[in-house]
Amino acid sequence: MTRFFQVQRYTAILLVVFMALHMIVVHYPPGHIDFGRVIERLENPVWKAIDIAFLLTVLVHGLSGAWVVLVDIGKVNPFRKVLAVLIAIVGVAAFIYGTMTIIAFQLPT
Amino acid sequence: MFKTTGFISFVLRRFTGVVLVLYLLTHIWVLGAANQGVEAFNRRMELFQSPVTITLEVLLLAAVVYHGFDGIRLLIVHYFNVTDQRKSLFYAAFATAALLTIVGGVPMLLFAFGIG
Amino acid sequence: MTAQEQTIQARVHIQRYNPDVDRKPYLQTFDVPVPQGMTILDALAYIKAEIDGSVTFRRSCRHAICGSCAVNVNGKNMLACNTPLRTVLTKKNEVTIRPLSFQPIIKDLVVDRSAFWEQYLKVKPWLIPPENSGPKEYRVTPEEVKALNRAETCIMCGACYASCQVVAMNRQYIGPHALLKAFLRVLDPRDSAPAERLELVSGTDGVFRCHTIFNCIDACPKNLNPTEAIETLRKLTQRRLAFEKEREERQKTL
Repeated sequence: MTRFFQVQRYTAILLVVFMALHMIVVHYPPGHIDFGRVIERLENPVWKAIDIAFLLTVLVHGLSGAWVVLVDIGKVNPFRKVLAVLIAIVGVAAFIYGTMTIIAFQLPT
Repeated sequence: MFKTTGFISFVLRRFTGVVLVLYLLTHIWVLGAANQGVEAFNRRMELFQSPVTITLEVLLLAAVVYHGFDGIRLLIVHYFNVTDQRKSLFYAAFATAALLTIVGGVPMLLFAFGIG
Repeated sequence: MTAQEQTIQARVHIQRYNPDVDRKPYLQTFDVPVPQGMTILDALAYIKAEIDGSVTFRRSCRHAICGSCAVNVNGKNMLACNTPLRTVLTKKNEVTIRPLSFQPIIKDLVVDRSAFWEQYLKVKPWLIPPENSGPKEYRVTPEEVKALNRAETCIMCGACYASCQVVAMNRQYIGPHALLKAFLRVLDPRDSAPAERLELVSGTDGVFRCHTIFNCIDACPKNLNPTEAIETLRKLTQRRLAFEKEREERQKTL
């Protein structure tokens, strides 16, 4: 649990940075979002790397947070190991799919 | 019972957290349209540009900034001995979140309803 | 007589429940004359002696040291014996007294506190001295005593435990009272097993189940600070073996 708490805290600190960046770069100023607007930024492999790191951080923080919310309920607590496995599967699947999406942002050749 | 600032922050934190996780998974799935090419992505994104969805996105922004500043507040509590200032810390976090929601939300609404 | 000294009439609502007769708890109202300086416990004693002898509550010392009489007054946990009744009256001179939350009611204001004590024993609340402790006295510095300032005067009244919403959700949680005691023992320079204690509180039901709601601080009648203690334990669990080494060094100089 010590490690778990540390991971949650460090990802939280990282997320403050990532989320601020994400909001400013991607959504500000608000406007029509289509492939063209996204590709302007994601052409750059550095942004791709940043987005993949962001994806990983937010999944770890979010899904372990969801696990804690569920496990906190006394009646769910006995199933915490099964839940952990299920949530880990969801996390891995979401990470693979999300990474594929980020890589898919290429200028059509 | 025990509706203290700590409890209010706890409920809001849990609620926004759960909402954000559900949103995150949906978000990953929605953007996944890019895997099917440019056309599919643009068609999918077109669905989310209506005034209604952008208004919902303002609520999402509120959830994100609240969860974020509540988290910063807890980091401050963890690293510094400030439990005696718990109430002011909560009000500060809440006010900052509200302010940022307004600052970020107003341009979104202006865009959504085609003003300015 | 000035207005301050006048006796006022208060309507005291008490949650009654007798498991042999009642299907669920209900509120009963008593009219109590409140002279200057009457505490909540005095009012309860007045009701028991003058109005209804079947009203049941715990009390013993009457000066906030035995920890028997914690009750929930107007939604807040406090000691009945050191709270003047006038300070908790609403504008209509009313007050609602309920038993401590989240625990099974035995009768009226008396709750079954076994869970509280079981969790308390889990953290080994006693001091474990070093094996080779000689006949000499321990000398502890004023700074070390000061660090324990907001932990050592706990009277085990259960006000914090019964205001903790984590306890409400999950009875497996060790609870603020026991974690505060663990903190007291871990930071005590005379204790020789801090690593073992930190190992114990770092499990799934220990310090990391706390969600920093601060209700324990608000509830504590002794102005102690369980939340800060839990945060300190969280930091220490991350370097528990190094901390034990420091403790061994410290004990050589005792």
